[in-house]
Parts: sequence; structure tokens; C-alpha cells
Amino acid sequence: MSGETWMLETRGLTKRFGGLAVVDGVSIRLPAGSRTALTGANGAGKSTLLAMLSTLMAPTEGGAFIDGHSLATRPAAQRRRLGVLAHAPMLYEEFTPEENLRFFADLYGVPDAAPRIEELLRIVGLWTRRHERTEVFSRGYHQRLALARVLVHAPVLLLLDEPETGLDVEGMALLDDLLLTAPGVTVLAATHRLDRIGQWSDGGVHLERGRVVEDTTAGGAGAAIAQAGAKR
Amino acid sequence: MSETMAVFRKDLRLAWRDRSAWLSAAAFAAITVLTYSFAFDLATQDVRPLLPGVLWTTFLFAGILANGQSFQREAEQGTLDAMLLSPVSPTAIYVGKVLTNVVGLLTVEVAVLLLATILFGTTLLTLELSLIVFVGTIGYVSLTTLLATLGSRARARAVLLPVLALPLLVPMLIAAVRATGASLGDPVGTAPWMLLLVVFAMWTSIGGALLFPMVTER
Repeated sequence: MSGETWMLETRGLTKRFGGLAVVDGVSIRLPAGSRTALTGANGAGKSTLLAMLSTLMAPTEGGAFIDGHSLATRPAAQRRRLGVLAHAPMLYEEFTPEENLRFFADLYGVPDAAPRIEELLRIVGLWTRRHERTEVFSRGYHQRLALARVLVHAPVLLLLDEPETGLDVEGMALLDDLLLTAPGVTVLAATHRLDRIGQWSDGGVHLERGRVVEDTTAGGAGAAIAQAGAKR
Repeated sequence: MSETMAVFRKDLRLAWRDRSAWLSAAAFAAITVLTYSFAFDLATQDVRPLLPGVLWTTFLFAGILANGQSFQREAEQGTLDAMLLSPVSPTAIYVGKVLTNVVGLLTVEVAVLLLATILFGTTLLTLELSLIVFVGTIGYVSLTTLLATLGSRARARAVLLPVLALPLLVPMLIAAVRATGASLGDPVGTAPWMLLLVVFAMWTSIGGALLFPMVTER
């Protein structure tokens, strides 16, 4: 796949806190439409890697590129294409689901957002509760609303950090349909649910102490493993 | 501009839904002014020279009380990160927050001026004094909103804002107190102090807009 523009590419991405490298020279390449599971033990660097890719955190070294465009040079334009689901649902507890989605639609400049908001709330099963404050919802319903928030601006690259958190069986099915196996999007999802990876992913990146030790994605098999092997 | 207004509308709605921060600031302000009115002998004393200090002490601490919470809830709920993940420039987020805090503090200040007018028997809601309060509030809120962001993720955030803000606010407080005194009859005149207030407001609002992206970067 030499010469191909990857939907997501990182080159030697590194984040150090003090002298400690939490993410250490990560180079991965994900083709458009791929679904990659990001695995590793607690503290392996998954969340930090996703925070850098989502532009919330600046890397100490290295760079990341979306569709060939550097995240460092045009972050605002790249953020429009990203959908990020982090540990926290990132919702206003005092707002209703409808108000939450409307605000984020405004931030992303979604034109005529009302039909999109209705569609998403119906899909995640919150349409009938659209006038209730979010603070009364269970953790699972928070996560469902967070799924809708991620999708309100129709992103093409999804960065998900343990998206299964708090979801029941029905919620998991929603997650699969909406995010993990949705057509036309590229997915990089950090997860501890190894039992579910086979249902949605077509490749995986495994981190240990901030380094890639296994890369079975279409774009990176071999190179990243060699990188890890050379360092060990 | 539309993103700034989206943040402004959202914050106004949030402030209305959870009125605790601004209500506690208003209650603090009312109690402070009431206490001062008991402390002075209104029958024999001319209290006008004391009023600038009374007013700006009240505005200062009421503002610290409310502004300190403007980013705290956002940081706790992760919604500050959600805004920073969007294509909106951090400066637009900052300006939206400043506008909300200016509206909130001005509301408290108008209520304080009305209450003080009744308690001290001196007309305080004049055009000149309103302008001084307005410009002073813009400078004050621009600085405290930036510093509230800085402290929103810190454990000692309740202490951090006053400790950082008060020394930096000294020039603005001197100018505000002297301009207020001049508007209440001090022969010096308001012009030089008003100029200092305007410069402070410009410096803090421009500086805040420029520094906010760095303050929010991890």
C-alpha cells in the first residue's frame, strides 16, 4: 500500500510527562474504512494516544496526519472530521438530550440540525425522554446520549476510548450499529473487551508501556512490530 | 461569531438552570452592603467618600465567588474538553464565557447599586457611575475568567483564583475606586482613572483571548 494516503497515520508519536514516556514512538497507519482495536493493559498509553490524536494533547515528538493533513497545522479543520468518545460522556447534566445535541450541532456548524437530532435520539432510544434533564439518566443512558453526540456532525474518523462503558446488551448492539460497524467511517477504539473485538474489528494495535508491540492492521503489519522489536 | 453566541447562550441557560453560583454571589453582596450600612452612622456622617470602597469590595468578592465556578463544572463534566474537541477556536469559547460572566456580574452590581442607593440615601445609578462599573467589570471578568480556566483542573482551585487574581487586579481596583469617588463628588475628576480602567479592560480582554488557547492546552 506504498504511496497510499492513510485516513490516520502517526509517525513516531511520543508523549512524555517529565522524563516518563507514556506514549513512545508510536507509528501506525490506518486505511479509510478500517476498524482497529487499540488494546493494552491499564497505563499502556491508549488514552494518551487517543488524546493526542483528538488534538486535546500536544505530542512531545512526532506527528499525526488525517487523510494526509497534519493535525498540528490545521487542527480546527481536522477536528470537524473527528468524532471522539472519551471516558466521560462529556454532556451537560442540566440540559435535556435535545439541548445537548443542539449545542454541539451549533459548535460544529451543522445546518438544519433538528432532523438529525431527532433521528439520533430515536436511534439511541431517548426520543421519548428528550425533555428530561440528562442528570436523571443512568450511566448507560448517558453513554447512549454520548454516542449520539459523537455522531451529530457526521464524522469520518471515530476515536473511541472504552466505548462499551456502562452499556447493556441493547446498548452494545447500538454501539456496534452506530459506530463500530457503521459504513463509511474509520474507527480506532481502545477497549478491554477482548471477547468482542472479533465482532467488529479488522485489525488491532497492542500497546505495552507506550510502545506498539503488535500491529495487525492493513497499513502497519511488520513495520511497527519491527520498531518494537528493535527497541526491546 | 456564531460559535461565541452559541457558547454565550449555552452558559446563560446553564446559569439559569443552576442558579446557585450567582444567587450565592448576590446574597453575599446584599449582606455585605447591609453590614456596611449598619457600620456607618448615616445620620451624622457623609458616607460618600466611603462608598467607592464599599461598592468595589462587594463587587470584587461577589465576582470571585461566581466566576470561580464558570469553568469548574465544565472541567468536572468533561464538557470543556468536548468544546475544545470541536472546530470552534478556543478564543470563541473564552469570549462566550466572558460575556456570560459580564452579564451575571453586571446584574448583581445593578442590584447592589439599587440596594446601596436605598440604604445610604445617595443616588448611585447615574450614567457616569454605570459606565465606570461597566468598564471595570469587563476588565475584571476578562482576567478572572482566564484565571478560573487555569485553576479549573487544580485541586486547590477555590484558593487559586483569589490568590492569583487579587494582586493582578490592584491597578484596576485603584482606578475603579478613584473613578467612583470622583463621580460621587471628588474634585479630581473621573477622566484619568477612567482612562486607566479602559486600558486595563483592553489589556486583560486582548491578553485573555490570546492566552486562553495556551491555558487550555495540555
